[in-house]
Amino acid sequence: MSLKPKQVDFNKTWGSLQETIQGVITLGNVRRATWNDRFSDIYSLCVAYPEPLADRLYQETKLFLDQHVTNLRGKVLESGERNLVNSYYDAWTEYSQGINYMHQLYLYLNQQHIKKQKLSEAEIIYGNYTGDSQEQMEIGELVKLYVDIFETQFLEMSGEWYKSEASKLLQTCNVSQYMERVLQVLHEETNRSVRFLHVSSYPKVKAKCEQHMVADHLNFLQGECVPMVAEERRHDLANMYPLLRSVREGINILIDAVRDHICKQGLEAISGLSGDNISTQFVENMLAVHKKYKAFVKELFSGDQSFMGALDKACSSVINHKFDPKMPSKSPEYLAKYCDMLLKKSSKGLSESEMDDKLSQSITVFKYIDDKDVFHKFYAKMLAKRLIHQQSTSMDGEEAMINKLKQACGYEFTNKFHRMLTDIKISGGLNEKFHSEFVKTNEIDLGIHFSINILQAGSWPLGPTVISSFSVPQELEKCIHMFEKFYHGQFNGRKLSWLHNISQVELKLSYLKRPYFVTMQTFQMAILLLFEKNDAMTCGDIQTVLSLSQDQIGRHIASLVECKLLTSNKEVSLGLPGLFLFKYQDQIGRHIASLVECKLLTSNKEGDIQKKKSTGDIQTVLSLSQDQIGRHIASLVECKLLTSNKEELTEDTEIRLNLGYNNKRTKLKISGAVQKETPQEIERTVSSVDEDRKLYLQAAIVRIMKSRKQIRHNALIQEVLSQSKSFAPSISMIKKCIESLIDKNYVERTANSTDEYSYVA
Amino acid sequence: MKVKVKSWTGVATWRWVANDDTCGICRIAFEGCCSDCKLPGDDCPLVWGQCSHCFHIHCIMKWLNSQQVHHQCPMCRQEWKFKE
Repeated sequence: MSLKPKQVDFNKTWGSLQETIQGVITLGNVRRATWNDRFSDIYSLCVAYPEPLADRLYQETKLFLDQHVTNLRGKVLESGERNLVNSYYDAWTEYSQGINYMHQLYLYLNQQHIKKQKLSEAEIIYGNYTGDSQEQMEIGELVKLYVDIFETQFLEMSGEWYKSEASKLLQTCNVSQYMERVLQVLHEETNRSVRFLHVSSYPKVKAKCEQHMVADHLNFLQGECVPMVAEERRHDLANMYPLLRSVREGINILIDAVRDHICKQGLEAISGLSGDNISTQFVENMLAVHKKYKAFVKELFSGDQSFMGALDKACSSVINHKFDPKMPSKSPEYLAKYCDMLLKKSSKGLSESEMDDKLSQSITVFKYIDDKDVFHKFYAKMLAKRLIHQQSTSMDGEEAMINKLKQACGYEFTNKFHRMLTDIKISGGLNEKFHSEFVKTNEIDLGIHFSINILQAGSWPLGPTVISSFSVPQELEKCIHMFEKFYHGQFNGRKLSWLHNISQVELKLSYLKRPYFVTMQTFQMAILLLFEKNDAMTCGDIQTVLSLSQDQIGRHIASLVECKLLTSNKEVSLGLPGLFLFKYQDQIGRHIASLVECKLLTSNKEGDIQKKKSTGDIQTVLSLSQDQIGRHIASLVECKLLTSNKEELTEDTEIRLNLGYNNKRTKLKISGAVQKETPQEIERTVSSVDEDRKLYLQAAIVRIMKSRKQIRHNALIQEVLSQSKSFAPSISMIKKCIESLIDKNYVERTANSTDEYSYVA
Repeated sequence: MKVKVKSWTGVATWRWVANDDTCGICRIAFEGCCSDCKLPGDDCPLVWGQCSHCFHIHCIMKWLNSQQVHHQCPMCRQEWKFKE
């Protein structure tokens, strides 16, 4: 075949060409030879001589295709409405496949003529538009067409169907089945939309479905939330979550229900605790609740932030719950005790990692505590005890815990704790230096093994160090003297005060059948040392020799009597002081009044109440239970309104060394009265917190006033509230602090305004 | 000996002993720390001059650095020398 242009009879060639393309477009049988011939026909038409017939061919072909498509439309319509989509689909598939073949057949025309021409034409029409934007425009128009003629109606119909389906389901199903079905419908719709519809339709379909199947029946679904949460129907809740989430604000009821439920469970877990280890029970029960519901939220509500928030709110309200509205929450104390229990040397045998784990968990509880300052107080006290008495499992453990607290609450919160650890470390170094340098070079014989903790006054919660007079036993004098000499050589301008009330000593008792090694407090030791020469002494004598206060002597003798190292010729009951000091003044007043009323006691003019009565008499008259009588009388004895012929160590009480002391263990430790956390000590801790808070608030107010000069009452309160991070001050407390600052002339009320203050420089 | 002391672990606290209650520069008690510090104690020590006057170390250093010519004790105007 020649490629040279030649004369062609258009009509003849077109005739046979038309026949072939009819075959091609209907996917009929076209033979390879014919196909090849037509291919060259098209070529020769395009390059025909004298003038190319490409345009004509194009026109004719276009006419032909128009005709063909019109025929197809007729056929599709004929097949009836029922088969419309199917026959349209068939026709479309056939046509698009055919047109593909035709393109191959017309390849020369398309490539050489049409493409060139069309492009220039396009440029004329659209100017500088690129092909892409043209395409986009077409698609945009198409989508609009799709929305107009199809989607709107489709959505409407779907809506109707959802509506009727929902009401049908509601009649037959309970809530769990209903939710199950709705989720299924949603799932099906999702699949369908993705497969058949334009991407833009999916959210619309989903919204429609949610509107009719969830939002329209929101009250019904929400009504079920509370019982569902209460019974912890996990499966249902997992279904409820995605449904309610789809509706604005719909989820709030569920969140509230979950919060209330956790709150209830939490309170249940921590109320009614009893026994020795309340603090452990408290923390561990609380952690169990927290862990359970954290998993609950994660699993059922895919860790949704608002549910996590509900968990936090619930936990914080449980932990800060006041079982007695007048008393502050005990949680900070419990938590501090729990940490103390973990960090103290004990036989529990927790491995280091277990301990670390538990401490980390306790931080979870810590974060919820409002009164962090109360926790600070208790923790500091217990830390001090652990450090001074070397009861810590490990210094690393202590440090790790303090760092955890620092992370949770900042440097300010823990710097005293750090200070305490540092003091102990420094003391270790000092001890070494004292022994290796001072003692050795000066060839001093201290007589006993001596070590010391030097603490920085102010960083340790040792209370106001009332240096009780105390004649130091000879045995210790040398140590004290030598160490002071050493210390003053080391540091300039520092004064040491010895805290004998918290120092400890190890003794060897060799007067008994076998030797015992006893650890006790210095005061107790001092008492015991007095029995060197004689086996019996009166309390009065002991006091004179040691020149300790009566109160102190009494307590320490009592503790020694309690552990049977000493005996007393009187019955000494020890539980008393600790137990009854805790009484409120007004309560005692009430009880006294009641006693006066029933004429057991008479009151003279000075208000002193004295009358001898035996306990038995009182009990018969008042017909109270033995226990109660005991308690009330004790409280009266305590406040010195009554005196008792028993239970008190008086000056002439004789104290004897118990020579028959016997114990299976040869190494023992006597915990003195001081070391036990007595109720009044706890009370004192709590009230000292109150004092600290007042100072803190006053300082905050002064700072604010200093920078603002003038401020309105409410604004001031707001600023103070935002500044106090470690506790939540009550408004009345802030007001009192403002009052006292006005009294102290730091602040004054502005002259012409009722609720404004100004700073007095 | 009926009772023999084996070992003793003493406890003592220390505080500053100065010839005055407050620092003459910042007017804050020696018990406390200078106005730039947060915690009293080792971090904010006291120093004595040979004239026997005592200040927070931070306070006196600030004072000495602000003096161009002579280093004098702010209390008695004698030449300031640290007491060894």
